Amino acid sequence: MLLLEFTLILFLVSIFAGVFGSIVGLGGGVVIIPVLTLLLGVDIHFAIGASIVAIIGTSSGAASTYVKDKVTNIRVGMFLELASTSGAIVGAALASYANSPALELIFGVILIFTLVPTVMKIGEDVPKSPDLKGLSRRLRLTGSYSEPNGSVVQYNATKPAAGLVGTAAAGVLSGLLGIGGGAFKVISMDLAMKLPMKVSTTTSNFMIGVTAAASAGIYYARGDVNPIIVAPVALGILIGAFIGARILLRSRNPTVRKVFAIVLAVTAVQMILSALGVTI
Amino acid sequence: MNLKDPDSMNLIIGNVLRYGVLISGIVILTGVLRLAASSSYSDTSSFLTYNPNTIPHSIFDYSLNGLLRGLAAFNPYSLIELGVILLIATPVSRVSISVFLFAAERDRLYIVITAVVLCLLLFSMLVTPFIPGFHA
Repeated sequence: MLLLEFTLILFLVSIFAGVFGSIVGLGGGVVIIPVLTLLLGVDIHFAIGASIVAIIGTSSGAASTYVKDKVTNIRVGMFLELASTSGAIVGAALASYANSPALELIFGVILIFTLVPTVMKIGEDVPKSPDLKGLSRRLRLTGSYSEPNGSVVQYNATKPAAGLVGTAAAGVLSGLLGIGGGAFKVISMDLAMKLPMKVSTTTSNFMIGVTAAASAGIYYARGDVNPIIVAPVALGILIGAFIGARILLRSRNPTVRKVFAIVLAVTAVQMILSALGVTI
Repeated sequence: MNLKDPDSMNLIIGNVLRYGVLISGIVILTGVLRLAASSSYSDTSSFLTYNPNTIPHSIFDYSLNGLLRGLAAFNPYSLIELGVILLIATPVSRVSISVFLFAAERDRLYIVITAVVLCLLLFSMLVTPFIPGFHA
């Protein structure tokens, strides 16, 4: 394939990935990896290297808007990053010993199970906010943001310890495989900590850049970050994230949840297929 | 700007991220334009060969010396690599600056949390690639 053609295809796909990745808080690897491996015939290692760059681009590009608009909860993000970065180190340490397909299968099946409560909550606009108490109170895991219609949503987080465990799993997955961490972050905040959906996806979006950066060193040193591939990916992703962030701010929680549920299902199936030896 | 104002943290972090992606995007774009000018109609297969037996696994030079030499020659691949390094550095800068922003708010608990995250992040990025047995 000609370089020009390759670059243009990848650039357009990455815009699309950036839009979706920034809305659901997963970073766009779900789209980029299969396009690279199946459509463009690129080796999976280069695809994962590109996905790491895509995640950092989506995260930073969209978070600049989300943070200024205060829909991202910085304290929740910083607190959970304790678990995601520790998890990434544990994942990297386990990589030589772990049976990756088996772990992928386990994580994939867990994701399938989380689909049920995620789908059951479709239609929920703002969760009933629990009282701020215990560890959540001490950590000030509370916040408020404005909906597009001008109403202000005030919320408190609950079960921070459960959130920490889920996020640690996300970190292990990222450190081990370089992919798939975002879904567990959103689920931890949505199902365990009971944050509004937009706060969950945008705070996950805020965190995934740090988790991906934690694993970036090894992929860079190995030469898996291929300039020919990552250049159009980075540029497309940044444009997509800019667009996606504006779409999210105008969307309501139930819409974001529907899109997330679809991407979650795709991610889970991808992970299970990959465990069974079908790389997509 | 009053750093004790809680809104200033959102504004500063937002700007660190915005300028980080903007600068890295411009550097990567410069590399892409240089590449387009020189080899738009080259075949991609030689660039995309993955060689599991060599480090690095691709044909590009990832060493610091190679990067500096390439940048001096305005080499498109080196420009893209620099842009990618700046992109990877963006979330790291965001965490580093947050330590100071929590310090300005005199929020001790979060100064500690953020400082620990920064140490874990730097350890994972820069140290674990050189520990034998890490990263299969």
